Amino acid sequence: MASTACFIIVSKNDIPIYEAEVGSAAKKEEAAHQHQFILHAALDIVQDLAWTTSAMFLKAVDRFNDLVVSVYVTAGHTRLMLLHDSRNEDGIKSFFQEVHELYVKILLNPLYLPGSRITSSHFDTKVRALARKYL
Amino acid sequence: MASFLAQFQSIKTSFDRLIISVEDVSDLWHMVKDEFERRLPFKRACLNSKTHNPVYVEKLPAEFILTTDSRLRSRFPQEQSFFWFREPYATVVLVTCEDLDEFKTILKPRLKLIVQNDEREWFIVFVSKAHPNNDQATKSAKKIYAKLEVDFNTKKRERCCKLDIHGPDANFWEDLDSKIMESIRNTLDRRVQFYEDEIRKLTEQRFMPVWNFCNFFFLKESLAFMFEIAHLHEDALREYDELELCYLETVKAPTSKKREFGGLEHGDDQAALLNTCNKPLSLVVQDDSFREFEFRQYLFACQSKILFKLNRPVEVASRGYSFIISFSKTLALHESMLPFCMREAWVISACLTLIDETSSQYSDGTMPSDLEKEFYRLRGDLFSLSRVKFMRLAYLIGYGMEVERSPVNSAALSMLPWPKPAVWPVLPADASEEMILQYNPRAKLFGIQRRPLPLEPSALLREANRRRASLSAGNIFEIIDNRQSFTDGSGLEASLKTPPSNKFHGSSMTRTNSSPGNFESSLDRPMRISEIHVAAEHALQGTISDPDLWKSLSSPQNFEKKYFELTKGAADNYHHSWWKRHGVVLDGELAAVYHRLENFDLAVKSYEKVCALYAGEGWQDLLAEVLPNLAECQKVLNDQAGYLSSCVKLLSLDKGLFLTKERQAFQSEVVRLAHSELEHPVPLDVSSLITFSGNAGPPLELCDKDPGALSVTVWSGFPDDITLESLSLTLIATYSADEGAKAITSSDATILKPGRNTITLVLPPQKPGSYVLGVLTGRIGNLRFRSHSFSKGGPADSDDFMSYEKPTKPILKVFKPRPLVDLTSAISSALLMNEPQWVGLIIRPINYSLKGGLLHIDTGPGLEIEDSRAIEIGTYNYSLQSGVNNPNVDDGGNNDPVTTEKFTQLTLMDGKIELPDWAGEKDSILWFPIRAMDSRATRGTSSAVPQKPSIVDGMRTIALKLEFGVSHNQTFEKTLAVHFTDPFHVTTRVSDKCSDGNLLLQVIVHSQVKAALTICDAWLDLQNGFDHVRHGDRRPMSSFFPLVISSFSRAGILFGICLGSASIGDQAETLKRESIINIRYGIKGDRNIGAHAPVSLESEPGIKEQNLVFQSAFVLQRPVLDPCLAVGFLPLPTGGMRVGQLVSIKWRVERLKAEDNMVSSDNDEVLYEVKANPENWMIAGRKRGHVSLSMKQGSRIVITIMCVPLVAGYVRPPQLGLPDIDETNVTCNPAGPHLVCVLPSALSSAFCVSA
Repeated sequence: MASTACFIIVSKNDIPIYEAEVGSAAKKEEAAHQHQFILHAALDIVQDLAWTTSAMFLKAVDRFNDLVVSVYVTAGHTRLMLLHDSRNEDGIKSFFQEVHELYVKILLNPLYLPGSRITSSHFDTKVRALARKYL
Repeated sequence: MASFLAQFQSIKTSFDRLIISVEDVSDLWHMVKDEFERRLPFKRACLNSKTHNPVYVEKLPAEFILTTDSRLRSRFPQEQSFFWFREPYATVVLVTCEDLDEFKTILKPRLKLIVQNDEREWFIVFVSKAHPNNDQATKSAKKIYAKLEVDFNTKKRERCCKLDIHGPDANFWEDLDSKIMESIRNTLDRRVQFYEDEIRKLTEQRFMPVWNFCNFFFLKESLAFMFEIAHLHEDALREYDELELCYLETVKAPTSKKREFGGLEHGDDQAALLNTCNKPLSLVVQDDSFREFEFRQYLFACQSKILFKLNRPVEVASRGYSFIISFSKTLALHESMLPFCMREAWVISACLTLIDETSSQYSDGTMPSDLEKEFYRLRGDLFSLSRVKFMRLAYLIGYGMEVERSPVNSAALSMLPWPKPAVWPVLPADASEEMILQYNPRAKLFGIQRRPLPLEPSALLREANRRRASLSAGNIFEIIDNRQSFTDGSGLEASLKTPPSNKFHGSSMTRTNSSPGNFESSLDRPMRISEIHVAAEHALQGTISDPDLWKSLSSPQNFEKKYFELTKGAADNYHHSWWKRHGVVLDGELAAVYHRLENFDLAVKSYEKVCALYAGEGWQDLLAEVLPNLAECQKVLNDQAGYLSSCVKLLSLDKGLFLTKERQAFQSEVVRLAHSELEHPVPLDVSSLITFSGNAGPPLELCDKDPGALSVTVWSGFPDDITLESLSLTLIATYSADEGAKAITSSDATILKPGRNTITLVLPPQKPGSYVLGVLTGRIGNLRFRSHSFSKGGPADSDDFMSYEKPTKPILKVFKPRPLVDLTSAISSALLMNEPQWVGLIIRPINYSLKGGLLHIDTGPGLEIEDSRAIEIGTYNYSLQSGVNNPNVDDGGNNDPVTTEKFTQLTLMDGKIELPDWAGEKDSILWFPIRAMDSRATRGTSSAVPQKPSIVDGMRTIALKLEFGVSHNQTFEKTLAVHFTDPFHVTTRVSDKCSDGNLLLQVIVHSQVKAALTICDAWLDLQNGFDHVRHGDRRPMSSFFPLVISSFSRAGILFGICLGSASIGDQAETLKRESIINIRYGIKGDRNIGAHAPVSLESEPGIKEQNLVFQSAFVLQRPVLDPCLAVGFLPLPTGGMRVGQLVSIKWRVERLKAEDNMVSSDNDEVLYEVKANPENWMIAGRKRGHVSLSMKQGSRIVITIMCVPLVAGYVRPPQLGLPDIDETNVTCNPAGPHLVCVLPSALSSAFCVSA
């Protein structure tokens, strides 16, 4: 498992709708800001890259010293972004795919308003389990 | 081969065009030189690329050089093979000859000698000096040229052309150009082939020990250079790319020998990545290769030079950025032997050089927009890279406090490892230890205590001391590993020459005894942070050779200036590119600088951009960093509106982002400002902080015109209770957009608790329709605020943008006007006229409470309410009511079973009654006593002409108005018609005429009411001229009383009367012209049905209902028993009457018996009168007058009247009347015709117009 990993889902309106620190390293208070900042800045790059490929998994789009930003863009332009320090691209891809499936299930919930914050604790648990499994 | 490097370098700098050699055989060059050189540079030259594709070069520079020129003559043959690219690409042989023999004997052998060298591309230009007028000379020249062509042209190629000096020939120059081009092309192809072959040969030896990169480089670069001077830049670039690739492979090859890296010389910190001539390659050559540091920069410089020539500055920037990144990594690998922070300094200068150079080469508007954006993006990247490195340097020398601890800086610096010099610089002996201020976080507004974001990957103090002391084993190994490369022995590494065993020893000691006391030795005493800064500064001074860069690090002010410059450069460039977020974030950094410089206006402007970005995209953590700064600036600027809105935004951020204490501080700021004198009070938008929604469940439903109380849920995001001076809420009708929103207001102060509050607002009557909540407005102190957002359920997602998009649920429904109540009359049949009667009124609420309703009763003319009795109201039960046949039905008493459930007595006040509360929900019936008055006496009719009494006469109206609803806002008006009637209708008939002259008068009484009537007594008052048979007894002949008449049935009463003397009798009795039947009766009826006993009697049951008296008048007509005169209508003239035709109408009056006792006995005149409808008849003659008629029996007279009928048809003729004589004495025999026929007037020809 990666020691640092920050997973975030950004809605098509660029709003973060789900955030999770999924790294195994002890969570530093100030790190959250940095991770958010890095992921937010990476949106600029995703915006450029997303339309150059038909693949959903954009691989590593940005590098920040040791940290890498990997992005997965769904058809609805929801972006699953992962800031990580591991190099396991296959694992990340699987992680994204499974989270995407979870996200679709969330979308299918008639009570969930697309674009709003995902507050489901079940989703959170599952995402963390997937992170432990793949990252 | 390396020995030629210097020469190669100098050739490259001086040699910049192709050479065409001129073999001036006949000493002609001075004559044609100008003409030849005018052709230069060649236009649209067609060359072959390496892949043998034609390439058109717009301008190909070249130079004509005589073969006798020293530049060509002085070369050694060996050089020629090395620098073949500079050999002539074509040889022009200039000849002239005027004599054929001379050509054959001298010129031809000489030419043969010249051209025998196959390696040269040559051609002959024959210059004819013959004047065109001199035929002889011209002819001879032609002949010689022909001979020349025969000798030197081959089938494949023409190598001769002819120039007439005196007769300029345009064709010649084109011919010359094409010949030169052909030669150049051929030469180029051949030379490329040669170099390719050579390179291939070398490449094959690549992995052999004999492989020498220098040789490879030599060939490759020669080829590239040749392409370059031939303006085949694409090919040249490809060669350089291949060269770079090959070099990197060589460097990285595991078998490669350890080589010197370079970068240790003074000035190396200034990147030379765009300067090919920075250092001669001969200085960087090393054995069979080159020093990486210089050589890679050299290669990149060559590439960029060509790219610039190709006008591709964007590619330079893009390649440059990746080059800087990869080269920086390479520098990191060699960091331990490079000067302290060499890498950072190099990156800064590389970035800045690249930016400057590409910008100067870049011209606006020539590139497609996406490429342009990409260019700006790259420049932004370069700026921000140099910015990060610059900050790192500044931080090292102690300007940490000048660096804003923002997320962007923290993210950039805290993950950027410290420089890893072999040994951390030590404090110079002569350094005066200046105190460096520690980072002292600026006291933030609202007392926000937040751990400052880190700017260092690990504590500098520890890192510096660890590295300086070389106390960790890791460091030792690093040093040992790199030891061999320190053989250069620069001053810095001198200290490292201490035997490693010593260090090991020291290290192990420290590891076992890790107390700080071990650092006491002079060498290993840990440095203080200020000392570290001083030492770093000192070391940097040695590293940085660029005076500008050093100057910008020399003082905090200069640092700030440079920092600002770099940040602004990055921000501006990002703004020009697609990467707005990067730009805006850097704007935030600029704002921080402005803020520190107290340039608050600009700071606010930039901070606002950043906040707008983060807020718009909902990145609250980041927003929480910047927003307090913005608020602080706004406060300083006294921008109250902005400051308030910032405070509100701060409050509406996620609760976890600030401590409760801080949030309370925000709130108190808002409240303090709100209660102060606001200069420009502006409505504050608190949509994110105070949200509201309707209560769950169905919407409040109201009837039209009803007020109500609307309950709404308001969520307060304030951490403490907050007092709102007023609160109002607009309602928006969903059905029509143009209908303005209506505000409902609660003017009382409301205290909102944090979280959920339920507030009830008084709702005035609204128009029908359904309403949704609009805007919440209100006041806090003097501050007006408004909120637009509906909360979905709780404050957790009150900041959720989606709440705006939620389908709004109607909160209020006002129904269209509908009947809310029904007032109907409870009685179905007529009531008794002139008697107090109960009128029943059914009040039926239709799903609406009538509680507190007021009923106005306004009786119409001829009707009045009996005040003496109370008004009764009781519940109305329809099923009971329908069961009219209930045997218990009593005479409308209080114990009416219909009203047993609830019963109340009411009194009428000013025509109004107030309904009891229980009547609000249920159907109720109201009884009130009423009396209809009719002063006219009832008249009986003859049974011969039976006439029904007119219903209209008995009709009376009651206007009712019910006011009800919460505040009597609803009214219902209705006018009830109540029918009154007499109990009986009387018809009379003389049923029999007895032989004794007595008459039997039958009086038939019809019951008019739905009630049982009991006739107790009846008597008849006769008119004059009639008398009762039994004098004095006015009663009927037989007595069956009491006689009960059921409803709508009839009964007859017989009276015996006889004719009395009409004329005799006293004067008083002459007034009685009508007979009156008097009936004393009682009534027994149900007030629910109709007529019933009069109200006043009910209270006195003892008297019972027998005392009612009904009177009806009728006229008895005496039979004509005594005729005196007879009037006869004489037949009309035959032929009928026509309109407009005069006709005489005659009556004959005959006296039937002698008049002896008549009143008018003084004369024998009779008064007559003719009555005619003036519309039908025009009468000529006296209508009224006296005619004399003798008193004798049988005397007769004819009265004639001339008439003109006016109307055609059957009309009533004029009638003759005798007013003085009683009708009973006149008999009409025969009776006059009822109708006569009047024909239309005859057609008059006078009106006809002949055709």
